[in-house]
Amino acid sequence: MIATRLPALVDRLRAVVGDDGVLSAHSDLVVYECDGFVIEKNCPDVAVFPRTAAQVQAIVRLCNEFDVPFLPRGAGTSLAGGCLPVGGGVMIVLTRMKEILEINLRDRYAVVQPGVVNVWLTQALKGTGYHYAPDPSSQGACTIGGNVATNSGGPHTLKYGVTVNHVLGVEAVLPDGTLVEFGGLSEDQPGLDLPGLIVGSEGTLAIVTKVWVRLTRDPQGWRTMLGIFESVADATNAISAIIGAGIVPAALEMMDQGILVAVEEAFRFGFPLDAQAILLIEVDGLEAGLDQQRDRIIELCRANNARDVRLAASAAERQLLWKCRKQAFGAVGRLSPSYCTQDGVVPRTKLPYILERIIDIGRRHEIRIVNVFHAGDGNIHPILLFDERDADQVRRVLAASGEILDECIACGGSVTGEHGIGVEKIEFMHKLFSAADLDVMARVRHSFNPAGRLSPAKMLPTAGACGLEQRHPGRRAAM
Amino acid sequence: MTVTAKTPPRSETQSPATAEELAEIVARAAAAETALYPVGGGTGLNFGLPARRSGLSLSTTQLNRVVDYPARDMTITVEAGRSMQSLRELLATQGQRLPVDAPQADTATIGGVIATATSGPRRFGHGSIRDFVIGISAVDGRGVAFKAGGRVVKNVAGYDFCKLLTGSRGALAVITQVTLKLRPVAESTAWVVCDIASYEKAETVLAELVRSAIVPTAIELVAGPAWERDNLLGPASGCCAARLLVGVEGAAVEVAWMTRQLQREWREQGIADSQVIDASGAAELWSRLCEFPVESASGLTVKATVRPSAVTRFVAAARAIDERALIQSHAGNGIVYVRYPEFTANEALPVLVRGLQPAAVAAGGHAVVYQCPADLELTHQAVWGPAAPASAIMASVKKQFDPAGILNPGLSLFAC
Repeated sequence: MIATRLPALVDRLRAVVGDDGVLSAHSDLVVYECDGFVIEKNCPDVAVFPRTAAQVQAIVRLCNEFDVPFLPRGAGTSLAGGCLPVGGGVMIVLTRMKEILEINLRDRYAVVQPGVVNVWLTQALKGTGYHYAPDPSSQGACTIGGNVATNSGGPHTLKYGVTVNHVLGVEAVLPDGTLVEFGGLSEDQPGLDLPGLIVGSEGTLAIVTKVWVRLTRDPQGWRTMLGIFESVADATNAISAIIGAGIVPAALEMMDQGILVAVEEAFRFGFPLDAQAILLIEVDGLEAGLDQQRDRIIELCRANNARDVRLAASAAERQLLWKCRKQAFGAVGRLSPSYCTQDGVVPRTKLPYILERIIDIGRRHEIRIVNVFHAGDGNIHPILLFDERDADQVRRVLAASGEILDECIACGGSVTGEHGIGVEKIEFMHKLFSAADLDVMARVRHSFNPAGRLSPAKMLPTAGACGLEQRHPGRRAAM
Repeated sequence: MTVTAKTPPRSETQSPATAEELAEIVARAAAAETALYPVGGGTGLNFGLPARRSGLSLSTTQLNRVVDYPARDMTITVEAGRSMQSLRELLATQGQRLPVDAPQADTATIGGVIATATSGPRRFGHGSIRDFVIGISAVDGRGVAFKAGGRVVKNVAGYDFCKLLTGSRGALAVITQVTLKLRPVAESTAWVVCDIASYEKAETVLAELVRSAIVPTAIELVAGPAWERDNLLGPASGCCAARLLVGVEGAAVEVAWMTRQLQREWREQGIADSQVIDASGAAELWSRLCEFPVESASGLTVKATVRPSAVTRFVAAARAIDERALIQSHAGNGIVYVRYPEFTANEALPVLVRGLQPAAVAAGGHAVVYQCPADLELTHQAVWGPAAPASAIMASVKKQFDPAGILNPGLSLFAC
């Protein structure tokens, strides 16, 4: 924005949220220059920390008055650059709106502010017999507002669905500053399913200030298994066999040898380091039916050449297994200084093919790639290891990532299962969707966000206010 | 002649054989500003306000092909005009199903079920149709074919028009093709049924069900004259206010355990008598509960959605407002259907506007007319209740999809 107008805007923002609610020094703003996608960076001109929806409204109105772009941010764990402040402007950080406003077990819902960290809700519900089902691996840090923006998934989506399947309604500030409620605690509200549209809109339609979420009954029991395989193909065939047998596991996760080494070093679970792939398989539900499902899964793993199938013997062992899985990304730090994870999806039957292609792509670009992913959903997360200080490595990582995602599209899949398009994958939208598809999406965006000041240059290739084509607007890191 | 939704003033019906043909028809209609009334199986036309503009009926029933059924991926891509029954039969050959209840399945189409967001008792256990649509193709009011989502079970690329078009009642676009997420067929099913003496007791039992060890697929609370002498359920006990029906599905061992467990829990709550309905009786009960909201072509059905904990209060209020009311509720979800065998226009004010609608608002929700006789004239307020605050943004979304306002004009809450 024009630097001369910045002090006036900062003063006005301070008047709304107080002195401790505004950051405008460059050294403070560097924290907000990117999210979990570190390849592109850009500082906002100012970061502001509202505590109420009314403050969000006032901030949004000021942004309109000063004609500056603005965007919401939760914990910044997004992996696709959804929180990158393209063109600078005002970053509205929602982490101070962190109250769980209501938990109602009789009607099975909770009302939370957007800055509530996903796992806080789970902790608040402990012992009640209910939980909030979406559990992204970043749940210890990511916010529910951010989960709404990206329609987050997690390991348990196979059986329980993603965020949109658990959101009953939202309160949101529209880009003109109007406060609205879509949906709410009663189901099937008349008219359009606007909560369904807002979830996954990556902050391009409105800024969510309150969320009504559905709570889910805790399962009576679990059976958590570890299938150990000599080849990736055997492991993926076992997945197909399990699904084909009519079993819907609560989770079906895969780790390849590359990631196993790092995870084992970090958590000392006792994973066999020579295994080519392991499957983490969990069924949950009524005790009455679990042993039957467990036995069938063990049988199907063995029929697909599993070397061994281990059963988590205790709750503690189960928790450790899940810790290994959910913190696998953290363990990647042991393998390389930086990593970039992709989020492609393929029909599950295409998993053996896509994993072979990933190995080949990594080899050609001389990039080491390890895999830990939601196999039951066909949602791959190849992790490309590199050093972001080395421009040539960055270039090769981008090239390899692009090829992997192109392969996913060629398999009839998608370039993102749960991380979002953000800025990272904006160029792929043309490959997934026709010009007509994108035009209809742009029209919907226009109906909410006509001036285009909210989250410009995100998600849609034609999403700028001026309708200009956007291509990686903020790229800076090591380029 | 009274012009109604059931008999829209249409000069003819067009039945395109391909999505391209359908898009051309819409584009021509948009240019001529001719109203279009999309129709699948025609089972959901008695909803909303009557059509007032003359125009064409646009049938999707020729768009009924299976595009792709990769059963091992547990997804299917079908054209929108395929009937629910033929879809069900096809999926059953692979031991799979779409666990969404749709009445009149032999004529109802998958596109229609999605456009009307139809669901039934199973939504407590499985969710509603919106949870199963993972890809959608449609033609907007300009005649532009577009798609969203895809063919994989997890996908967050682009706006989720699968959700936006679900329940949009043909006012944004005509759905031409969908990709659905599937589930395995349940091995076994049964119902556990009891009579409950008062609405207060009914709420106690429903609240306990929230903490039950069992995992119900359906929680149905029914009341009213016809339910009291039902031949499948048997006659209601003398002082019964409502009957509670809990449907369970799963492996045979799970169903057997759940029926025993629920009867045990109910006995502890003072409900000595309950019955288990299984085998063919269970299937018949699923079907009856699925068909109930549309069973009577002549009567009027109201759909209220309220807080689950307010269902019994709302049911009691509905019975007090008019004792002829026949009631079915998906009590676990807070959805209540109130059916009147006969209904006249002058009952709209006392029964709807001053009766059920405020009762629904007091119960945390709202009430709309779900099914209305062809010759009954109702006001916007009688059909939709108080104005929805979000209707302005809905209207602006509608304008983007259908700038000429030719798709189902006047039929929707937001598109009058």
